[in-house]
Amino acid sequence: MNEEKEVEVQPKPLVLQKLEEHHADALLSQDETRGTLVIVVRKEQAYAVLEYLKTDPELAYTFLVDVTAVDNSQMESELMQFDYARFMVVYQLYSYQGQCRLRVKVPVHENDLSIPSVAGLWRGANWLERETYDMFGINFDGHPDLRRILMPDDFDGHPLRKDYPLRGRGERESFNFDKQNV
Amino acid sequence: MGLTNTDIQSAQGVEQTDGNIITTTIDKVINWGRKNSLWPMPFGTACCAIEMMATLASKFDLSRFGSEAIRFSPRQSDLLIVSGRISIKMMPVLKRIYDQMPDPKWVISMGACASCGGVFDTYTLIQGVDQFIPVDVYIPGCPPRPEDLIDAVLQVQEKIASGASPKGVEHLLET
Ligand code: SF4
Repeated sequence: MNEEKEVEVQPKPLVLQKLEEHHADALLSQDETRGTLVIVVRKEQAYAVLEYLKTDPELAYTFLVDVTAVDNSQMESELMQFDYARFMVVYQLYSYQGQCRLRVKVPVHENDLSIPSVAGLWRGANWLERETYDMFGINFDGHPDLRRILMPDDFDGHPLRKDYPLRGRGERESFNFDKQNV
Repeated sequence: MGLTNTDIQSAQGVEQTDGNIITTTIDKVINWGRKNSLWPMPFGTACCAIEMMATLASKFDLSRFGSEAIRFSPRQSDLLIVSGRISIKMMPVLKRIYDQMPDPKWVISMGACASCGGVFDTYTLIQGVDQFIPVDVYIPGCPPRPEDLIDAVLQVQEKIASGASPKGVEHLLET
């Protein structure tokens, strides 16, 4: 029995090859979760990387599926990895051309909650970024209309942050039902 | 037409004298009419609304009870069916719609969420629409089955036939 075990060499995905070539210093880590490639990108270069991913003719991630964020303040293991950045802004991309997905994560520190808006790259980012702003308080620089989208305009706080109590801070009782624009 | 002598004799407040003469009061006749043609204003904001749609569709067919004329205009409706979660931002809208409905109007609070917030005891959810609008019939369940909604409509019909005032009017009289 001298069957040789076949070692399948996975070719490196094109997107990683190209990013390493053009934006090597922006990449903080790369990983694969359930068949989706996940890359973590420095905030300073995030816009350049996203723009590159969209406009490069070979990659063409033309579909921005989602923008959201994660509050890692209670996830010590995650915090440690990226210099104790509390938030992770997550971009979910899809390329029709390559028929593949890509998740781009950007660590954001609590003392500087701003990150460049990508609403100019994907028009769909407009509302997605508004939602992320509403829920986590991330400020998207250069967004055309950064207002709350889900919570009432006069709402205080960002409810998907981990330190926000589930039952709220009395908004259900103190909400002014007569003053709303209906 | 469809009315037999037994119908007439068993109807509350209706009496038949000899021959073809029946006597009743105008209230009874009006309530009889109202009862059998409730026009619902659906306020479906979540999963319960799916059951409400099923109730209106052919399988359960609310039109058997005279309530199939769903109107998305509150000014033409007299039965508000709140089916689903109501957030604090949505409540002023619901209140406005309720206010626009002409009297006498009736309210069904369908499902756990509309009645008490259900499992969503969270920062944004109204813990029971009856804090803001008067509710006549509550339906428990998550979601309630279409039969439950039909039952609630029948309970509203019974209330109307008995001459009871809607909760909203009772509320006004109290204050
Ligand atoms: S009671 Fe249940 S089914 Fe109805 S809206 Fe709430 S969660 Fe959905």
